[in-house]
Amino acid sequence: MPLLEVQDLQTRFKTDDGVVKAVSGVSFELDRGKTLGVVGESGSGKSVTFLTVMGLLDPRHAEMTGSVRFDGQEILGLSTARLRDIRGKRIGMIFQDPMTSLNPVKRIGWQLEEAVLIHNDVPRSEARRRALEVLEEVEIPKAGTRIDDYAHQFSGGMRQRVMIAMALINQPEVLIADEPTTALDVTTQAQILRLMKKLQDEYGMAIVMITHDLGVVAEVADDVIVMYGGRIVESSKVDDLFVKPEMPYTWGLLGSLPRVDVDVERLEQIPGQPPSLLRPPQGCAFNPRCAYTFDRCREELPELRPAEGKTDHFFRCHLDEGDRARIWAEKQAAMAASAESAA
Amino acid sequence: MSELLVVENLEKYFPVTRGLIFQKEIAQVKAVDGVNFTLNAGETLGVVGESGCGKSTMARCIARLLEPTGGKIIFEGRDITHLGYKEMRPIRRDMMMVFQDPYASLNARKRVGSIVAEPLDVHQIGTDADRKRRVQELLEIVGLNPEHYNRFPHEFSGGQRQRIGIARALSINPKLIICDEPVSALDVSVQAQILNLLKDLQRDFDLTYIFIAHDLNVVRHVSDRVMVMYLGKPVETGSRAELYAAPKHPYSGALLSAVPIADPKLGRARKQIVLEGDVPSPINPPSACRFHPRCPRFVDGKCNVDEPMLTRVAGETDHEFACHFPLERWPMGDDELRHEGAFAREAAPAAALD
Amino acid sequence: MIQFLIRRTFWALFLFVAATMVTYLIFFVIPADPAKLAAGKAQTPAIVNHIRMMLHLNLPIYQQYWLFIWNLVRHGSFGYSFVNGLPVRSLLADEIPVTASIVFGGVICYLAIAIPTGIISALRPRSIMDRMGMIFVLFGISAPSVWVGLMLLYLVGFRLGWTPINGYCSMSANHLPGGCGGLWQWAYHLILPWITLAVGSAALYTRLIRANVMETMSEDYVRTARAKGASFARVLFQHVLRNSMLQVVTILGMDLGLLLGGVVFIEIVFSLPGLGAQILTANNTLDLPVIVGITLFACVSVITFNFLVDVLYAWLDPRIRLG
Repeated sequence: MPLLEVQDLQTRFKTDDGVVKAVSGVSFELDRGKTLGVVGESGSGKSVTFLTVMGLLDPRHAEMTGSVRFDGQEILGLSTARLRDIRGKRIGMIFQDPMTSLNPVKRIGWQLEEAVLIHNDVPRSEARRRALEVLEEVEIPKAGTRIDDYAHQFSGGMRQRVMIAMALINQPEVLIADEPTTALDVTTQAQILRLMKKLQDEYGMAIVMITHDLGVVAEVADDVIVMYGGRIVESSKVDDLFVKPEMPYTWGLLGSLPRVDVDVERLEQIPGQPPSLLRPPQGCAFNPRCAYTFDRCREELPELRPAEGKTDHFFRCHLDEGDRARIWAEKQAAMAASAESAA
Repeated sequence: MSELLVVENLEKYFPVTRGLIFQKEIAQVKAVDGVNFTLNAGETLGVVGESGCGKSTMARCIARLLEPTGGKIIFEGRDITHLGYKEMRPIRRDMMMVFQDPYASLNARKRVGSIVAEPLDVHQIGTDADRKRRVQELLEIVGLNPEHYNRFPHEFSGGQRQRIGIARALSINPKLIICDEPVSALDVSVQAQILNLLKDLQRDFDLTYIFIAHDLNVVRHVSDRVMVMYLGKPVETGSRAELYAAPKHPYSGALLSAVPIADPKLGRARKQIVLEGDVPSPINPPSACRFHPRCPRFVDGKCNVDEPMLTRVAGETDHEFACHFPLERWPMGDDELRHEGAFAREAAPAAALD
Repeated sequence: MIQFLIRRTFWALFLFVAATMVTYLIFFVIPADPAKLAAGKAQTPAIVNHIRMMLHLNLPIYQQYWLFIWNLVRHGSFGYSFVNGLPVRSLLADEIPVTASIVFGGVICYLAIAIPTGIISALRPRSIMDRMGMIFVLFGISAPSVWVGLMLLYLVGFRLGWTPINGYCSMSANHLPGGCGGLWQWAYHLILPWITLAVGSAALYTRLIRANVMETMSEDYVRTARAKGASFARVLFQHVLRNSMLQVVTILGMDLGLLLGGVVFIEIVFSLPGLGAQILTANNTLDLPVIVGITLFACVSVITFNFLVDVLYAWLDPRIRLG
């Protein structure tokens, strides 16, 4: 049984300008010990999806429907008290900017201890012991003294380690990481990703890695979902996504990435910008920017369907298999040619 | 090929003061500590490095938004290092900057037309009618609708605002454009548009770029030559092809191997050098070679005693590095690792996929 | 931190000396002649001159200033009132407690209103509570304290007879015939003044607290706390209030410093013999030592409270303390 099972999740925000359809029908599964990569740009709904799962949205402003089953139990719409039992204890979450995500006027030791004391009826000394232990696990040097420091006395990478420590201190079964390395230097990012993998192996926890960086996804994820305009537009095992992506947005994403290992003359660009969730496009959300769009795309939202001959690769596009296979082959050839001419 | 910009031993130190009543200087932040390079017209120099390496400070020194505390900047044969405000004015027509944050670098209270025309205003070029025409021309060149001349920045997306910033930079036909992380704040799909645009403009208008970024992928795509900086000093410079194919300095190697590759199989097969610790503070940089505390090839007694000088790579046109024990081959071999701190990640067992 | 304190102390002392100098200078510039005023009706040039010499008014200004500083430092004396010859120090000793009673009591009142109102408004923006709170705020800011005081005095004190309409009672029991004393009497006489003070300032602080709390609620670390499973109460008290109160503390300190210099309107309306009432009288009679004495006390009060606020802020915000 999957650890986390989300079915047809929808989140709508009521704003002064109208209803923002941040998430419009997202379904996926997360298995124990696995890493799910969630790829998307601004307005894709990737962060809102998991804020909904965690119950961090204000129900007065956000309308949430669908089903979220954690370890077999339905948690969407659960009472606040019951949700709080799970949050921070069985599901942990870390965010993008570690500087602003830590309370600036409280010692980090206190903040770590708080994470323990909220969920465990233990004396403070025990909480502190656990805090020290977890700081050492995330490889903070001189944890014994640094536990009494404040957030601003740590560097960016160290702060993110503290955040990870705080999320893991109760040994959760799932860690949701929302762009954890976007604000960090590339060498620090490598350290943090390595650390997360080590901790995953040690604790056997599942990780959700939300990011816009396909490279990070390629490095850490087992399964990937690509989100656009509040929906999943493609989902597959990680290797498959890069070998044979099945729809134009993914092609565009892959083609528009500059690569450190190969030269291309000109990057493939996706024209326009990510869609407004207030007034989303009719039919397929990607159609205004898609080079292969035709009438049906503007009228009818494509359903998620399985790729030819595969059971775990789904995508959302009206183009048929023949066309898609041909276009992808053309793109690969073009990329190869471009690489040659640049070299 | 003419030398457009020559930078010699550029230094920018910021004083750190302390004191009860009277402030006394007790230390210096050596943000930029000895940068040398020559930039030819039509070239793009990519400058890459992590936080605290001084690349942004260097950019501001070159654009004379800051005054260097040492060294020389020679632009088109003229020493502009210590020129005063008035004397710099005509030179600023040839040097423009594009900034990182498309939300902060445009004045939210001004209309787009006015923003793009501002350099023309400042240098008193053309009449009002001329300027309007030029602005509309520029908006079209950068891919925006010239009719949006009267709109405000908040009515545009991040990528479009960055285009406005570029249009503004182009307005007075500069020779050199310094781009300080111009795509870092943009979505991936928009990033490619801006990078392509910058390349096109370079070709169409004979521009020279200094392109600063922390993203090695991006730097590779746009640059002819690349300079890697660490704690205020360049550690390696070379042509794009040479540096990416075979970096010599262990830090360049670490940077390159740390960049996630958008190809799972390649990524898994790759050996990664993961450095220990964080970038130290530029107030008290490590002695001799600044990279030695984190270097996987550190040799005690040499690297922390003798500062390495920039050395040419034999057989290559333009490749220099500052290291006593450069990488012998790329990817780095296991035998090259000396220091216990850093380590290489082993290639994972090949997954039974295809 | 020690460095910070030392620097702040030096600065405070410097400000104090500057304040004394400026005060003295101002009165040198006034064209009227205090000697004449002190002499009263039966004045002849001889008497006026005599008074002038006694009060050292014939000396150059810097000598007068020096005498003053000397007296202050050596004898702790502020001089003697031109009008009634009493030592200024004793006048201050009588009047400071009155003003202080008004101010501290009033502050407690308005914080008691502002804090809950501000927090509730912030947590339920645009609700009925919030809108009502904001209307109250508007009224409080707009209505002059004189008018509020007089209205309360008339309606509550005079018409309804629920509270006394004037006078001050000391906190200590007073056994003199016709006098009043004791804690209850003290408070009873101050209720209306407290409410008057509260109405004006509660408004300001409600708005301030509302804005601060709203801003803090949207900070990332509040989201982290909630992601940890913290209860609403914990989030509010341990994370939100702690951080949003910083700014309130700063402004409160400054306000206290200013108010202690004399809440003139309230003292006049309710006939309370505090510093404000005294300085009004002293100004009219050009009683220089009293004016200087009260002005200096006001300066000391402002300087001290600013200093305390700086120190408190540095202590509360580790980024400043350890930065």
